[in-house]
Amino acid sequence: MRSDVTAVKQLFTGLVSSLGRETATRELKWMKQTLIASHSPTLPAMLQRRLSGEPLQYILGTTPFGPLDLLTRPPTLIPRPETEDWTLRLADMLTPTPLRPLTVLDLCTGTGCIPLLLCHLWPPGSTRAYGIDVSQDAIRLAADNAARCNIPSSQPSSLTPYSQNVFIPMLGDLRDPDVFKSLLPPFDIITANPPYIPKREYDELPVSVKDYEDPAALLGDLPDSEEQDGLSFYRLISQLLRQKGMLRDGSIVALEVGRAQADAVEGILQQSAGLRNTQVWKDPWNVKRVVLARA
Amino acid sequence: MSSPEDITRARQLKELEPLHEAWSNWTHARQSLEETLPLMQDPDPTMRTLASEEFTSLTHTLSTHISTTFPSLLVPPSSTRDLHALLELKAGVGGSEAALFLLDLLRVYVRYAGSVGWRTSIIQSSETESGGMRDAILEIKGEGAYDALRWESGVHRVQRVPATESSGRTHTSTVAVIVLPLSEDAESVSGNDELFKMEDVKVEVMRARGAGGQHVNKTESAVRLTHTPTGITVSMQDERSQHQNKRRAFQVLRARLMDVKLSQDIANRRATRRNLVRTADRSEKIRTYNYAQDRVTDHRIGLSLMNLTSFLEGDGVQDFLDALRRNWQEEIMEDVVGESE
Repeated sequence: MRSDVTAVKQLFTGLVSSLGRETATRELKWMKQTLIASHSPTLPAMLQRRLSGEPLQYILGTTPFGPLDLLTRPPTLIPRPETEDWTLRLADMLTPTPLRPLTVLDLCTGTGCIPLLLCHLWPPGSTRAYGIDVSQDAIRLAADNAARCNIPSSQPSSLTPYSQNVFIPMLGDLRDPDVFKSLLPPFDIITANPPYIPKREYDELPVSVKDYEDPAALLGDLPDSEEQDGLSFYRLISQLLRQKGMLRDGSIVALEVGRAQADAVEGILQQSAGLRNTQVWKDPWNVKRVVLARA
Repeated sequence: MSSPEDITRARQLKELEPLHEAWSNWTHARQSLEETLPLMQDPDPTMRTLASEEFTSLTHTLSTHISTTFPSLLVPPSSTRDLHALLELKAGVGGSEAALFLLDLLRVYVRYAGSVGWRTSIIQSSETESGGMRDAILEIKGEGAYDALRWESGVHRVQRVPATESSGRTHTSTVAVIVLPLSEDAESVSGNDELFKMEDVKVEVMRARGAGGQHVNKTESAVRLTHTPTGITVSMQDERSQHQNKRRAFQVLRARLMDVKLSQDIANRRATRRNLVRTADRSEKIRTYNYAQDRVTDHRIGLSLMNLTSFLEGDGVQDFLDALRRNWQEEIMEDVVGESE
């Protein structure tokens, strides 16, 4: 016990010099709170991991997302506050009801944070959401998160009417033309936080991102793409959106983008998906963060 | 099923209960007294003694009703009786010693709330390296918490030899306490009610995140609200969730605005009536905790408790809260009597 205290002190001092006193103090408090709840790792072990650069969310195992508390597991991308902000805004914008339900498709769903928050906030029986991801880890985590949020993650039998919102995570690759075969388009809402970091920026990322989170969730340049602007996935998504029957009149597309990408993505949506009615949302840090299009 | 009318009626009934109880006790005692009087002339000496004892006890009951029970019914029911409370504590002069004393005071309020059956949670705190707290906000959920604790607002002064002081010299440090009213729906993030308009509140997230988004996975959940008309600002960063910090910040903002509104109501009333409730000046020193003399003194009512430990570790705070409530009721009673003259 004694050595623990000394170790914690030393590690904490290290954390203070790497994060600043205020942040380090808060993170220590959150680690202690997690310890009280779980008992598994020890405080020195947690501090040691944090000091080596591991994201706090992987160490604690959860992250808040709106009113939800979602599981976080390496290497699946940790939900960001920017995504939380625009998802809450999107949820506020629409009011589906069990009589006028909405179908949601979330591409590159990761932890499932976007569709889960929508399912949580909208009235029971008003929302049926699908989440696609290329990573088996992400799909497993998304299903675990659905269970954690008490949202069913399998197709309800067609005999029973929907009394709950449903979120179904599915393994799939956006490059596969048949990826939506088993789903039921058209979709009322298509959301995505696709990988958008250009290769040259990826190389400069902080350790906590680059060394711990899935490159496949971050790198916006596909190996075979000519352009290295981080926009490969927006071009892919636009092709999908152009497919007949994907959208109906009034459907909404909301795509998160990286800094300085909003204008280019707006252009891609207008030109290759034919969505003329677009607008851009800023995040709370005043960065253009979401391109919104209406079919 | 209870309609709003039913609830209002039930509340009225509940409010009339003390009046009804006082009156039936009074009539019952008077009736007994009338029955006792003839027995005091009874030929049997035992009976006479019993009757005489009964007479003394009943006379006492009746005079208590006249001197205390009936006048206290003149105090109108408090308009803030349902409210919960937020306690804001800030270390004043005295550096780390003040921060340590803040923690002592915080424990007193947490334990007191627990003994009454109220739920508490520390929604904001900044700990110092010496193990104290520079400031803290304590949420106390329970009906009547605000009414019971509101007199704790003011500067609390401690005189003691700090644990850190080797020369044994007595230090004087202070902690400022502000008790704010908290309503049930205070956590709502939407505005546009009697307290504020949403367009008057500027919501800011703290610190730049650079590129933000996928580029950064640092936890940045701090939120600051500014209420433009009053200039009140609230910062919250204790929760990992920005959403939660925002809810908490709105809760504190609402409590502060309601506090401003209540103070204005009192000031307005004071302008028309005689000087009613004591000054709401929070910079005033209200209480001294003197360790050398093992004494707590409330300067407003001149009450001293000669057992500091019972205040810090026991239920001594109750004595002060009771005395302050009585003092306040007496002021109101005087005021009501003064008005009718």
